[in-house]
Amino acid sequence: MPSNLFEQRAITTQTRLSLTGISKRFGGVQAIRMAEFHLLPGEVHALVGENGAGKSTLIKIISGAETADTGEITIDGEAADIRNAADALNLGVATVYQEAQLFAQLTVAENIFLGRELTKGQRIDWVSQDKLVREALATVGLKDDCMHRKVEELPTGQQQQVSIAKALVGEARVLILDEPSAILTDTEIDNLFAAIRNLTARGVSVIYISHRLDELAKVADVVTIMRDGVTLGTFPVKNLTIAQIAERMVGGRLEQLVSTHSFVTDDIVLAASGLHSGKFHDVDLEIHGGEIVVLYGLVGSGMAEIASAMYGKEPITRGSLHLKGEPYNPTSPTVAKDRGVSMLPANRKLEGMFSFQSIAFNISVGALNLMKKWGAVFDKRKEGLAADELIRKLSIKTPDQTRAISTLSGGNAQKVVLARQLVKRPDVLVLAEPTHGVDIGAKEEIHRIIADLCREGTAVLIATSDLAEALRVADRLIVVRNGTCFAEFGPEATQTQVLAAASGELTEADRLELGEVQ
Amino acid sequence: MTITAPEATRVSVRGRSLPPLVTGQELILIVMVAALWVLLAISNPGFLSPFSIQSMLWRLAPIGLIAIGMTLIIITSGIDISVAAILMVCAASIAKLTAEGGWPFWLAVLLSLVLGTAMGALNGLFISYGRVPAILITFGTANLFKFVGYRIFDSNVITGIPSERSILGPGPEGQVFGVPIAFLILVAALVFFWYYLRHFPGGRHFYAIGDDESAAALAGVNVRRRIFLVYLVTGLLVGLAAGITIGGGTANLDQTVGKGTELMAIAATVIGGTSILGGRGSVLGCVLGALLVQTVASGVTQLRLPSQLSDLFVGAFIIIAVGADILRRRNRRAEL
Repeated sequence: MPSNLFEQRAITTQTRLSLTGISKRFGGVQAIRMAEFHLLPGEVHALVGENGAGKSTLIKIISGAETADTGEITIDGEAADIRNAADALNLGVATVYQEAQLFAQLTVAENIFLGRELTKGQRIDWVSQDKLVREALATVGLKDDCMHRKVEELPTGQQQQVSIAKALVGEARVLILDEPSAILTDTEIDNLFAAIRNLTARGVSVIYISHRLDELAKVADVVTIMRDGVTLGTFPVKNLTIAQIAERMVGGRLEQLVSTHSFVTDDIVLAASGLHSGKFHDVDLEIHGGEIVVLYGLVGSGMAEIASAMYGKEPITRGSLHLKGEPYNPTSPTVAKDRGVSMLPANRKLEGMFSFQSIAFNISVGALNLMKKWGAVFDKRKEGLAADELIRKLSIKTPDQTRAISTLSGGNAQKVVLARQLVKRPDVLVLAEPTHGVDIGAKEEIHRIIADLCREGTAVLIATSDLAEALRVADRLIVVRNGTCFAEFGPEATQTQVLAAASGELTEADRLELGEVQ
Repeated sequence: MTITAPEATRVSVRGRSLPPLVTGQELILIVMVAALWVLLAISNPGFLSPFSIQSMLWRLAPIGLIAIGMTLIIITSGIDISVAAILMVCAASIAKLTAEGGWPFWLAVLLSLVLGTAMGALNGLFISYGRVPAILITFGTANLFKFVGYRIFDSNVITGIPSERSILGPGPEGQVFGVPIAFLILVAALVFFWYYLRHFPGGRHFYAIGDDESAAALAGVNVRRRIFLVYLVTGLLVGLAAGITIGGGTANLDQTVGKGTELMAIAATVIGGTSILGGRGSVLGCVLGALLVQTVASGVTQLRLPSQLSDLFVGAFIIIAVGADILRRRNRRAEL
């Protein structure tokens, strides 16, 4: 590709916010290294990168939630010493986090001023507050008739706008939006963009973080790309295609990682047709024995829910499912388990681990009916044997099985939770974000374990937002977008194709074309 | 969008609106109490005599004050099960000091306020700065306080409590234009806290804390100090309630004083529409809840029904109130 496309933007002295030489280390992990970031007045500056590239850390440093180990921050030419969230706010840096920090039971107006109420005497000065609330709501494009409604009565999109309005009261010079569009509908996103343009017209600078690369052309002026803790540079958005941004994000290091062995058999183990629920629609899916099907999508695309539905965690409203040729109606995880379907939940800490319990307990708890003696009594010996076998098979690093699971590293704890699903080999194994938050070594081993299961005939369905993983393990890769299966790729898919399909550069027409190619 | 504003339930006050002055649940309570009073008046004409009403209003005062404190706590998503024990220590102290120490009643009540505040502050200290779950710490301190209380009783009934204290009592000396002073104190506390919760930053912060503590902290609310304060204030209110209890004119006091008060207060709070999960509730509701519980209790006695029926009704009210709260939350979530 011609190199002039990546010509970097000239940095003038007129920057609103400048970060130079910023580094931050968490324990043994260098989260960001010598990052550079320059924000001009009135611009929308997108910040993109894969999970773990260092975006959030950089944002946290700007917003005062973390402090940098080295480096300098200047705001409007003056050195800024940001040590906590209050410092950042006082300097005019306001942050809207992905999860709205609003109080459902209080009104919009109250939320906007909560913690810094205007008072007359000791009492809240409602009249003055309301005046400023009206202005702030107008800036973000909300009608002021909502100002006295409880936040819980508003749709999610309006709540997001309220969060932005909250950030604006009190002279924000820099507004940070952390994935504001992840949970919004299309109309709501349009409203959000209009609000952003409104702000920049007044000279507010906006840092916009998003995984949806298709949005960048609509909203951003420039984009800074991060990879492995390093800022690769800042480029005008109009010079780049989504594919080019995506390539920079992943850095070409994935091309060689293609699934090498395949154990796909001819029999269809799990078949879904026309599945609907509140979160997805028209899902058709077939998984053969020994096959690894990966659902890849962005947060909110519905891929997590499709996977959960197979295990009875997401109610199916319409459509049919067959398991080994028999009708299968997973109304609850209990039903699914009985039919030989297992699931590794996405959130290890909340949904997977019994933190205070031993490794053995955590392994056996899902299959206690297999560990009985005299027909009824729990047999500790059988538990011990099963745990030992799985600890060996999955190479879980621990001195013994009586250790509390909470003493293990993330990767090993994940393997224990995975081991629970494998006490009896499942016919179908569903995994949600199987390697989220585990180190590279453990990631490799978890992929090896999955491959071993396939060799024995288990059908595997993985829902992941980790593209490298998706490309690496998939026999078939299905991109989920807007609640349905959008495109399907074989093992030879490239990252740019997949990313383009998931993030929206491919249109409906491209999709059909793609179908013909295969 | 798809959500229609519940216009009818909002009241506009000078161009802005807070939650309505009287919520639906409070209206239901008012109607229920009124209906019960009519029923009781018909079955027993003496029920509406001045004396009967005065005595009822007087009896409402202590439990009403404690319920106000409990409501403040539950709004912040906490709980205090040590109020009964605090009440016992305070009441026993007043009784002992006036009966055996020769203290004037007002001075003993003052000490009761100090004692109650101190015990509440101890709870608050553990809960806010020690970050111990409220239910555990107040369970612990309840037993601690009870021990102190038993030491004051010294395994005896306290006898010979003088009766000059009746300014807080139900009799004529404790009345202004026929209204018990104790009840007026309750009304004053109710008005104060009602206004404070609605119109003061600190009051609104209680709701924010109960809704989402970490978000409140991020918004700049001094969460720990607010939580400390709420337990301290409750202790003060309990100390006041103890003064009124002893002011009732009993000459003897035994160790059962205050028993079950914590459950009564929680019942009144929940029946009054305060969410046990925090973030929502009102002090007016809890006083109405207390009045309802009390009316049911006296009604059961008046109608010569078995006294256990009172428990049955109160139990049913609690379940209905909690059920309504859960349903409200569930519906809300489904809309979003």
